[in-house]
Amino acid sequence: MDSLPLSTGLLALFRSLLTRELAVAIRSPGQWLNPILFFIIVITLFPLGVGPGPNTLSIIAPGIIWVSALLSVMLSLQSLFYDDLHNGSLEQFVLSAQPLSVVVLAKVFAWWILGGLPLLLVSPLLAILMHLPASAIPVLVLSLLLGTLTLILVGAIGAALTATVGNGGGILMSLLVLPLTVPVLIFGSGAVQAAALQMPAGGHLSLLVALLALALSLAPVATAAALRVAVSAS
Amino acid sequence: MTPKRKQRLMLVALMLVGVSVAVVFLLKAFNSNIMLFKSPSDIVAGDIQEGSRFRIGGMVVEGSVKRNDTDLSVEFQLTDTANKVPVTFTGILPDLFSEGQGIVAMGSLNNSGTFVASEVLAKHDENYMPPEVADALKKAGKMPGTSVNYGGSTVVQP
Amino acid sequence: MFKWIHRFGSSPFVYRTANWLAPVFGIGAAVCILVGLYLGLVVAPADYEQGDSYRIIFVHVPSAWMSMFVYMVMATSSAVFLIWRMKLADIVAWASAPIGASFTLIALLTGAFWGKPMWGTYWIWDARLTSELLLLFIYLGYMALRSSIEQPQTAARAAAILAVVGVVNIPIIHFSVEWWNTLHQPATITKLDKPSMHISMLRPLLLMVAGFQLLYFHQLMVRVKTGILQREARTAWVAELVADNRV
Repeated sequence: MDSLPLSTGLLALFRSLLTRELAVAIRSPGQWLNPILFFIIVITLFPLGVGPGPNTLSIIAPGIIWVSALLSVMLSLQSLFYDDLHNGSLEQFVLSAQPLSVVVLAKVFAWWILGGLPLLLVSPLLAILMHLPASAIPVLVLSLLLGTLTLILVGAIGAALTATVGNGGGILMSLLVLPLTVPVLIFGSGAVQAAALQMPAGGHLSLLVALLALALSLAPVATAAALRVAVSAS
Repeated sequence: MTPKRKQRLMLVALMLVGVSVAVVFLLKAFNSNIMLFKSPSDIVAGDIQEGSRFRIGGMVVEGSVKRNDTDLSVEFQLTDTANKVPVTFTGILPDLFSEGQGIVAMGSLNNSGTFVASEVLAKHDENYMPPEVADALKKAGKMPGTSVNYGGSTVVQP
Repeated sequence: MFKWIHRFGSSPFVYRTANWLAPVFGIGAAVCILVGLYLGLVVAPADYEQGDSYRIIFVHVPSAWMSMFVYMVMATSSAVFLIWRMKLADIVAWASAPIGASFTLIALLTGAFWGKPMWGTYWIWDARLTSELLLLFIYLGYMALRSSIEQPQTAARAAAILAVVGVVNIPIIHFSVEWWNTLHQPATITKLDKPSMHISMLRPLLLMVAGFQLLYFHQLMVRVKTGILQREARTAWVAELVADNRV
């Protein structure tokens, strides 16, 4: 990518990086298949642990679906920069004249297509399994759409900070990032809960949009700074 | 302007756009009301299904608390000054539960229109003072907290 | 001017200053806390509603306040370190983290003890307690990140970035927890004006706040000394100190 001329627009850079990431990911199906399987299995565990009563399940469903989505995103994010750091391409990105935060944004977006989008697609099915009222399903999908992107943006900071940590880097990343993702969890599951109780969810959804906009503009900068530290260390 | 500069300027501009979008949606969220709990008037108006769980908020009616001598069950009435709803609860009430106090209860309506609470919450106010001062304030009718106007409004703008 | 900055940043000078300041802050903290405890536990009257159990605020409020203050110090010095690469700023951030975490833990524990008589249970997902718990997690994450990166320079810079990210996030977390709490545990009587307190109770509280502040500075000085010695272990002036038995 560093061979791109400087005059290349940011959009072209973004697009070519995105194509690269997707091409790499498609060749290792585990990368995008595992998070979605994890998501489905964790949600299946809850009725087994809590009991199959539809009343209980429908009360806890918004929280469970949201926490499971959060965990599945975090687990898959550990390796966001690992390969790039170890095969040297990250160093090339850092040294290239292209802005590193755009590289980060492209990687995050590719990751969202692979790790976030599938969650949205299966979530209506899981909502039915969890006896969530049908009226809440559109809000669930919308909240996951806004929320997972924010989660990946924030998680990328943690992935970059722990990129140089070998063994146990994944659990450390979750330790750092999970407290920071609390707002997304609160507004995401809050939106679904409100919709399930037939109350307006607009307030929660606009807060999710606000968080996403904030994460989109600030998180890539922090991630880029952390990546520079990681590259200079290795 | 060099292409490099141009790029950087564009990124900064994009960041500013992002932050302003965040602010716009934050303000939008502040303007949309969020319901915290149903009021006794909502229940009297009959827009709640029997058996579905919800939260009710109101003030405990003076003189309405009846404690059972043999077990921990309590009956009282909740009001939003316009309407009253009978509530039953079995369990230990919080220390600050008293007549005239605002509380919130979680539970559902039974078929006779009584609210069966599974949880009762009271919250202490944020005043700290010696008992003599409290008495004096009460006498003067200037006790903070009790003067809070608890009208029919159960809508809070966080 | 530059000479002064250089002098200020030089380790032996900072070490000597910290060495001199530590006991000063220590004595100040001891006096404030002892007088504050006496006024708070013995002299101040019981509360009209909460009885004697309110007295735990004389420890709870100062430590909760310090848990925030220490994080602000940590984040500010981390930013200074990232921008100007000032070693001392990193030492201050490193030194502050465990102190801040301890204050947070004290605030949580005293909050739980207060909750028992007030709410009838040790733990309640009250907005302030929940944000305090999340703050503790952020402190622990900072310390975990620092200790798991082996290269000290990398660890310092990565931790500094985390501290700065945290300071942007903490207000958002706090706000969202408030929001969540009002949805799930509504306060029926929310007073819009500030908490009010009788002067006989306010005086010991302010003394305790001052005492905790001084306690933090005392601990900070002690840990900054340790941090400097660790980083400068191989220099001549530390060898001299050790030889003279003055460490």
